[in-house]
Amino acid sequence: MSSESSLFSHRWLPALLLAPLMLLIVLFFYVPVFQAFYWSFFLEQPFGGGSEFVGLQNFQRVLSDPEFWGATGRTVIFMLTASSLAVIVPLMLAVAADRKIGMSYPARNILVWPKGIAGASIGVVFAFIFNPFVGLMAPLNSLFPGLWNPGIDGTDAFVTLVAAHVWSGIPFNFVILLAGLRSIPPTMYQAAAMDGAGPWRRIFDVQLPLIMPQLFLTFVLEFTESITSVFALIDTITGGGPGGSTTLLVYKIYVDGFRGFDLSGASTQTAILMVFVLLLAACQFFFLGRRINYER
Amino acid sequence: MVENARSINIAASILLAIGILYIVGPLYLTLSTASQSYEYMLRNGLAWVPGTELFANMGKVIHDTRIPVQMLNSMIVAFSNALATCALSFLSAYAIVYFRIRWAGVAFALILATIMLPLDIRVITTYQVASNIFSPLNGVLDFTGLNSLIEMVFGAPVQLELSVLDTHFGLIAPLVAHGTGTFLFRQFFLTLPKDLFKAARMDGAGPIRFLIDILLPLARPSFASLFVLTFLSGWTQYLWPLVGASTPDMQTAVVGLARLVPDADGQVPDFPMIMAGAVLVSLVPLTMIALLQRFLVQGLVLSEK
Repeated sequence: MSSESSLFSHRWLPALLLAPLMLLIVLFFYVPVFQAFYWSFFLEQPFGGGSEFVGLQNFQRVLSDPEFWGATGRTVIFMLTASSLAVIVPLMLAVAADRKIGMSYPARNILVWPKGIAGASIGVVFAFIFNPFVGLMAPLNSLFPGLWNPGIDGTDAFVTLVAAHVWSGIPFNFVILLAGLRSIPPTMYQAAAMDGAGPWRRIFDVQLPLIMPQLFLTFVLEFTESITSVFALIDTITGGGPGGSTTLLVYKIYVDGFRGFDLSGASTQTAILMVFVLLLAACQFFFLGRRINYER
Repeated sequence: MVENARSINIAASILLAIGILYIVGPLYLTLSTASQSYEYMLRNGLAWVPGTELFANMGKVIHDTRIPVQMLNSMIVAFSNALATCALSFLSAYAIVYFRIRWAGVAFALILATIMLPLDIRVITTYQVASNIFSPLNGVLDFTGLNSLIEMVFGAPVQLELSVLDTHFGLIAPLVAHGTGTFLFRQFFLTLPKDLFKAARMDGAGPIRFLIDILLPLARPSFASLFVLTFLSGWTQYLWPLVGASTPDMQTAVVGLARLVPDADGQVPDFPMIMAGAVLVSLVPLTMIALLQRFLVQGLVLSEK
């Protein structure tokens, strides 16, 4: 047998094996993605009332809407604050759990638990814990009235969202970063120790530089994640309020489309959000490309 | 290595203790509040100590709400999502890696691209497709002019209509249309030695036999990892089941839980009952994590590579 035949040759079998998944992906991924861009050039009537080509009018309407820019600005702020925290907190925990200490075993187990709790479930729980009248801050609130009320103060509501997002994001980032740390060969530490680097110094001079690939990766994945998965948290904790101060783009699209029946507006915003996310993904590939240089 | 690392070990222990507290704290408060009565919660707010009302509150959830039916829905959705993703991804990765097809790279790129735009972003138009899964076909027929031809011949154009909204299939299918599984199996296949394939060919194994007798047993750990991962993701979905199912009896437990909180302001909601619901809804996935943690961690690491 020649080395050329290291693969099967078959006329229709591979197509048949690929067909079921491909069919689902075309139907529920490519058609919706295409339709979002397509509809952004049409004025769609709800309930199948026909459509009319309007060129760039939808984009003009959306881009001149201050609410759209407000939601976009809040999305970017959330992306930067929540995802930075959702990487830095697990990073510190992973560096700590990488040491051979008594706490590291239970920590490795417990820090994965949030993976099993739905965003909406923890949203319901956080809405209760941060409730101004019966929650954690209630005793402080009775001492200093008006200190904490996510129902009125937009910043308080935003902080609650960030806290819940970081909570849910810990498992994935922790596991990835810990795996990166554990793959650093012990000789690296020994060499650094020979050169006189103490354990604190080695964190910054050996560990952090060597897990840069994982760190970049978690950051970029976390950017996309924070944009989309925040929907469940907003819907259960703040409902977009107070006064729209936690209406992020993904929530605004849902409200416009499913409550306001503005299909064209929602599709146009979907298209814009997709382009934004794809640009982020392009950054991801850029970093993945850089990753090869770090390979040990 | 012999050196004094006490200061850093103490700092690390404190840090991990804070981390554990941050994760377990909300879970503990959920459980302790779920075990107190509504009156206790009104008087004292958060319950720091567990009470005796846990089963009474759970009973309220089971009898007065649709959570039990919705948990069954969640079970169906999560289980079918995991099973279908495992099966279809395995087959497609097999086709991509082990067959000489010219378009293998294109097919893989098309599948992989789904990872970039999550379902939550394209929910508006996915909903439209789900409300009539033949709409793309109708669109193609209209666009290519085939429909006017059919209209000339048969007197009426083809307009097929089938909505999968409010069905289990509709809740599951868009979740399966995802590339992580294919990616995971492809990575696994590429780590297998090439000689394995050659030896099997030498012994006269055809594509089906190679798939069933050799790859399937070898891939068992990958299956377990992917199964746990997609089961949890199916169970914890929120936006898609929220819009994809409109009747309470078709909704999933997570959506039902969020609906327990009344929209209107005014009186304080029955938080102990809601927290009991949160405990019930999280019981299945948490048990799964406790039992199959090894596979979960492995799956997370594999899906990253």
